[in-house]
Amino acid sequence: MKKTMKKLFAMGLSLTMVLSLAACGSKEAPAQEQPATEEPAQTESAPAEAEAEAPAEDAAESASDLSASITLWTYPIGNWGNSETVDGLIASFNQKYPGITVTVEYLDYTNGDDQVNTAIEGGQAPDIVMEGPERLVANWGARGLMVDLSELFATEAGGEIYDSVEAACKAANGAYYEYPLCMVAHCMAINQNMFEAADAMQYLDAETHTWTTENFLKAVQAVYDSGQQNVGAIYCSGQGGDQGTRALINNLYSGTFTDAEHTKYTADSEANIKALEALYAQDGINFDASINGGEEITLFRNGTLAMSFCWNAAQQTNSDNAAAGTTNNGDTILPMLFPSDDGKTELCGGIWGFGVFDNGDQAKIDAAKTFIDFICNDPDQVNESVKASTYFPVRPTLTGIYDGMETADTMNTFSEHFMPSMGDYYQVVPGWAEARTAWWNMLQRIGTGGDVATEVGAFVTEANAAAGAN
Amino acid sequence: MNSGVKRTSPYKVITLIILVILAILFAFPLYWIVTGAFKTAASINATTPDWFPKEWVMDNFNKLFSRQTAPLWELAIPFGSKFSADGNPIVFSAGPVVPASIRWLVNTVFMAVMAMVLTCITSAMAGYALAKKRFKGRTMLFTLIVCAMALPKQVILIPLLREMSSLSLYNTIWAVIFPTVGWPFGVFLMKQFSEGVPGEMLEAARIDGAGEAKTFVEIVVPMIKPGIGALAIFTFINSWNDYFMQLIMLSSTSRLTISLGIAKLQAENSTDFGLIMAGATLAAVPIIVVFVAFQKYFTQGIAMGAVKG
Amino acid sequence: MAKSSNTTSRSKALVRRETCSAYLFLLPNLVFFVGFVIIPMVLCVYTSFFDSTMGKDAKDIFIGLENYVNLWKDEIFLRSLKNTFIIVLVSVPVVCIFSLWVSSAIYNLKGSALSAFRCIFYLPVVTGSVAVTVVWKWMFNNYYGIFNYIGQAFGLIDKNINWLGDERFALWCIILILFTTSVGQPIVLYVSALGNVDTSLVEASQVDGANHFQLFWKIKWPLIMPTTLYILVITTINSFQCFALIQLLTSGGPNHSTDTVMYYIYYTAFKLYRYGYANAMGVVLAIFIAVLSAVQFKLAKEK
Repeated sequence: MKKTMKKLFAMGLSLTMVLSLAACGSKEAPAQEQPATEEPAQTESAPAEAEAEAPAEDAAESASDLSASITLWTYPIGNWGNSETVDGLIASFNQKYPGITVTVEYLDYTNGDDQVNTAIEGGQAPDIVMEGPERLVANWGARGLMVDLSELFATEAGGEIYDSVEAACKAANGAYYEYPLCMVAHCMAINQNMFEAADAMQYLDAETHTWTTENFLKAVQAVYDSGQQNVGAIYCSGQGGDQGTRALINNLYSGTFTDAEHTKYTADSEANIKALEALYAQDGINFDASINGGEEITLFRNGTLAMSFCWNAAQQTNSDNAAAGTTNNGDTILPMLFPSDDGKTELCGGIWGFGVFDNGDQAKIDAAKTFIDFICNDPDQVNESVKASTYFPVRPTLTGIYDGMETADTMNTFSEHFMPSMGDYYQVVPGWAEARTAWWNMLQRIGTGGDVATEVGAFVTEANAAAGAN
Repeated sequence: MNSGVKRTSPYKVITLIILVILAILFAFPLYWIVTGAFKTAASINATTPDWFPKEWVMDNFNKLFSRQTAPLWELAIPFGSKFSADGNPIVFSAGPVVPASIRWLVNTVFMAVMAMVLTCITSAMAGYALAKKRFKGRTMLFTLIVCAMALPKQVILIPLLREMSSLSLYNTIWAVIFPTVGWPFGVFLMKQFSEGVPGEMLEAARIDGAGEAKTFVEIVVPMIKPGIGALAIFTFINSWNDYFMQLIMLSSTSRLTISLGIAKLQAENSTDFGLIMAGATLAAVPIIVVFVAFQKYFTQGIAMGAVKG
Repeated sequence: MAKSSNTTSRSKALVRRETCSAYLFLLPNLVFFVGFVIIPMVLCVYTSFFDSTMGKDAKDIFIGLENYVNLWKDEIFLRSLKNTFIIVLVSVPVVCIFSLWVSSAIYNLKGSALSAFRCIFYLPVVTGSVAVTVVWKWMFNNYYGIFNYIGQAFGLIDKNINWLGDERFALWCIILILFTTSVGQPIVLYVSALGNVDTSLVEASQVDGANHFQLFWKIKWPLIMPTTLYILVITTINSFQCFALIQLLTSGGPNHSTDTVMYYIYYTAFKLYRYGYANAMGVVLAIFIAVLSAVQFKLAKEK
């Protein structure tokens, strides 16, 4: 017995020794956070060439003395969550700015926020983070953690950005905490084959992708009656995809989520209560507290659900599991606007871009701004950057990005029928992070039989308290 | 043994049947992980479960290994930035570039072994002092240890995070190891064991002129070895499974542990169950192989400890 | 006189020496214990008197005991406190009894059968909580999970049950998983403890005509008492550490029905950004657990 314990110990110890020896053996390895240091060495000759070719470009000249190591954390925004694509984008950045090393971390919507929050408290917030105004402006920006990016808006390219998008990136104090790259209108989708089988296609206009509230409810009933037990799911386990449930509920009877000035929450209106009650009463629609938005999409793709409330252009063109625009077993997926009683659907937008954390190091901040400027504004680069997101550009001058690609038709459909319905970007209302959490809890309470009016009232009280607290 | 064979009472038969059913239930998750890792996407997403893979494929592992990469081994020197000339952390890295998931495994093994070794050494010393020495503050210290023993780490979440930040340990494996070593359960256990060391032996050693260190190493350690074994296994398993500290303290992909890595895979690809299963297999199989191979030592090691405690 | 003063001074020197050496032995551990448990705990108590949040310009505002007062008005906190104690109070005895039962059923099996059983019950422990949780999440799935599949196939349920999405079941699902990952170590311990029971004692009492029940209570139980105490302690520790399960399976939902104080602290800190409040919760939990541990220790010592 004693011997065996000794053996175990010896094993553990020797393992540690070997490992630490291995570590010491390579002391010449530079003291770098990431092993990406070889890259600049290899491309050292590149800047000279670049400058020789375009000596007149100030940017290149001033940039050539920029040398810093920055971190970029991205949420899974199209292929910006995919390391192969992002490595390609960074490689082209490094051709022009070899002195700036960019290290990327990929976040997810389940734990991403917590990861950034712990990193902030841990004193190692990323230099650049890629997400939307609800996080960059309304949360971290409002907490004074971000750098003002107004100088990027002052550039030529920055001036072209749609006014509504620009407004969403602007904080109450006038500073810009996000520089946008791409956007999309979130929508919903149906399994066309199931609808056809239930003879429910009569309730919608497949050409314009629209339907009325009345017809939507009839269609759900028809699909349910045809034997499809689960038609749609109001997913509410948490984090991610909240725009889908919000847009569905707000549009059904034309309710609003916030006031027009984005100062307080108005989700407790008659219209919203009516919508929630209608959804709760509807056969085939379950309030499911065990799944989140991503899982709802999975269930839709594998044919468990007949519709998804968490859809957009990137989902429609996604071909990871099956051909684009089809479910796993080949059923056709038809993207739809959210149903509306007045025929005027307001879709919830997603505006994604970059924000810079103020980590107190001016060199890093400058390098981060250079990176954003290159990715979003460089005429030779921006198309690729937007393409990587699989969403739409935020400037009218950028056109034909998806021309010649397989997804071009789908993207055209979306820009023709969905983008014009993009509604007010209200996600910048104060207290957003807390309100989103409260929103899920409210749906969970309603799902377990809570009184709609009471629960919505409680949500608004809680959300407004958070809005006032900030 | 004989009597067991002779008297196969119905009670025993029923018990055995129940045990077999329970055993199947307990083994099922692991079975499902390992088979799932080799299933095709269609098979794994089937609404009617495929109990056994119809065809074995490596797709999931290929996908897992084609994700991000990292050097096999990297070591951040604790407090390095306090000593280095430029104020940057000192990090050594070595080994070929491997898939990040392999690196997670290496990180986890390093973390668990390091926590185990440090805990055993420091706790054995402290436990001995608490049990056999009379000194000022002993009662107070011991009370503190007993009270803090079962404390969940979540309690000190924010202060600990800020402390690690100011020590520049955040996002290094040490931020997970150090609090584990500081957790007082080990000291408590070692104290209970050291109580069993006869005072006369210590006295005899002292009269023979053995110094404190020599007495400890040559007399005390051999006697409390079973306890150290129990503590080693407890610490190793606990720190391997201590998802919370890892979640809070680590953020770079190359510095994650395998548990964290799988949780991340799950969050990123809730659609891709096969990929998650491949990751889970990678996490579970090595430690299970070690466990099965050393089962005898493992189980005896823990048990010896407890019997004496 | 001279002699006695001599001895006192010598014993004083001895005491000083012993204290010195004791602290030298304690030092390595104290560095970690004080550095990473006591200091954070003190800071935790300190911050709990402030209204503190994340942010560069955020000032900590001293609010005295307000956080503590609010805690007792916070229904979610009270609920999570209740859940925490349900988990501990259910899982600790169940784990102990179950593992004792399994162990007494298997400890006198043949070598290979014994190690097979012991191994299987230990598997969930070494598989790792995250990997296990991922599979359980699939098994509990509302739409294609295996429990619903089997339940329907055998006609036990007529409609799929949303195990993790239903307030009535979610906490029990968590307890079940916690249970499967907790019994491995106790079984190993008990098997070995029962195996070490002196057979001559057992035989002697059998000769005396003791039945199974008496044999167990009078002979075996006292002998395995130390093992039981150790198991009680580690199971309690494990049950209080139950975090991964909740974070990965339910995030405390639905409607906070699976929130434990441990998860709620994390939630309050990083989803609601109320640091002072989260710390106050931590302090309350720490007091509860410290008292519990002290009582447990006192009781164990008396026995």
